[in-house]
Amino acid sequence: MQLTHLNTLGEANMVDVGDKRETRREAVASGRIVMQPETLKLLSDGALPKGDVLATARIAGIQAAKRTHELIPLCHALALSKVSIDFEVDHANSWVSVSAMCRLNGRTGVEMEALTAVSVTCLTLYDMCKAVDKEMRIEAIQLESKRGGVRGDYRRASSAPIVTGEGSAGEVSIGERCVSPCVRVKFLAELRERVGQSDVAINLDQLSSRDVAGLKAALAQRDTRFSVLSDQRTLCAINQVMANDTSRITDEDEVAFFPPVTGG
Amino acid sequence: MKASLDIAVEVQSEPFAMDYGYEAALQQRTDIGAIVSFTGLVRDFNETPDVTGLTLEHYPGMTERTLVGIGEQAAQRWPLQAVRIIHRVGYLTPGDPIVRVLVASAHRRDAFNACDFIMDYLKTQAPFWKKEHSNEGVYWVKERHTDQQDAARWSSSATL
Repeated sequence: MQLTHLNTLGEANMVDVGDKRETRREAVASGRIVMQPETLKLLSDGALPKGDVLATARIAGIQAAKRTHELIPLCHALALSKVSIDFEVDHANSWVSVSAMCRLNGRTGVEMEALTAVSVTCLTLYDMCKAVDKEMRIEAIQLESKRGGVRGDYRRASSAPIVTGEGSAGEVSIGERCVSPCVRVKFLAELRERVGQSDVAINLDQLSSRDVAGLKAALAQRDTRFSVLSDQRTLCAINQVMANDTSRITDEDEVAFFPPVTGG
Repeated sequence: MKASLDIAVEVQSEPFAMDYGYEAALQQRTDIGAIVSFTGLVRDFNETPDVTGLTLEHYPGMTERTLVGIGEQAAQRWPLQAVRIIHRVGYLTPGDPIVRVLVASAHRRDAFNACDFIMDYLKTQAPFWKKEHSNEGVYWVKERHTDQQDAARWSSSATL
């Protein structure tokens, strides 16, 4: 593949897009800023000295997308039809993830605009929080997807597993080592994201009672994130059969917790 | 004479044909009087107006077992000759077929009812979860009370 920003002499060169057909272009980029849990709490409580951090960072990201051509030498100035910035405040991992979507009808892609928007949004988050936290780290800035254009659509292979229970294709899930008597616990879909992990193994001797209620209590004692398991919406299956709080658990059982189903 | 029953389910990430299950269910039999099928597609609007795609996750093993169980329950209620259920997982975009249920019976009313029943139970019992991608961001789809009500119809009233 040839780099279009280099001419035959290998010099930087702005690509002439005048002959390209106008198509609807869209790109989504993402990144995140990791911070101390206390900083994240101040941020989500709106208690930081510089005021509403997320609203300011959002505006910064939108402005940055519009000015990408001023920052990146060979980028064209584009009339974007839409820029949106989304945040996900993740207390479990103690970070704010940022997602930027840019769209236009035009002759050139908008991934640089989306990446610039994410970068400047993260920088603004840093600026807004730096009075209380110098350790913050901006990371994982990347293109997630792009649509439209001659090279076709692109979509980053998801790092989150599409299927759970047996690992993704080509991967072997070994799971945590556990001394018998042992129960393997799985968290599926939204619940996996809320507890921040997909598998945990626990020794049955740590359970006050060898049933689902006992398992929930033992997990909640390990980490407060597992208190979500006591939510009425949370469902449970033992060895892939629906179960409830009084269902017995025995050695080597597989217990799965998951939210209400939404297939079809 | 009770006709032999043939149930098959599949969960896959690859697309499936719009006539999936038709030939397999017939198997050159001549005692089938009715085939009813339902195909569900990904809409471009749901919880937000601009859905660009969705990612479907499931619980391998339990999913297949649950789908077979639902097919068997349908066959206990109505005389059926064949049930085919196929459901996609992974990333899908608007317009993609996501699920297909096909039911073969001697008579149309039984086939219509069984197909309706299977979809109601699939939506409320089979371990699939949808994550929607939209211009507003990515979020997990919430369960619907109406789906529960639809499934409850089959236990509260006469089925014919």
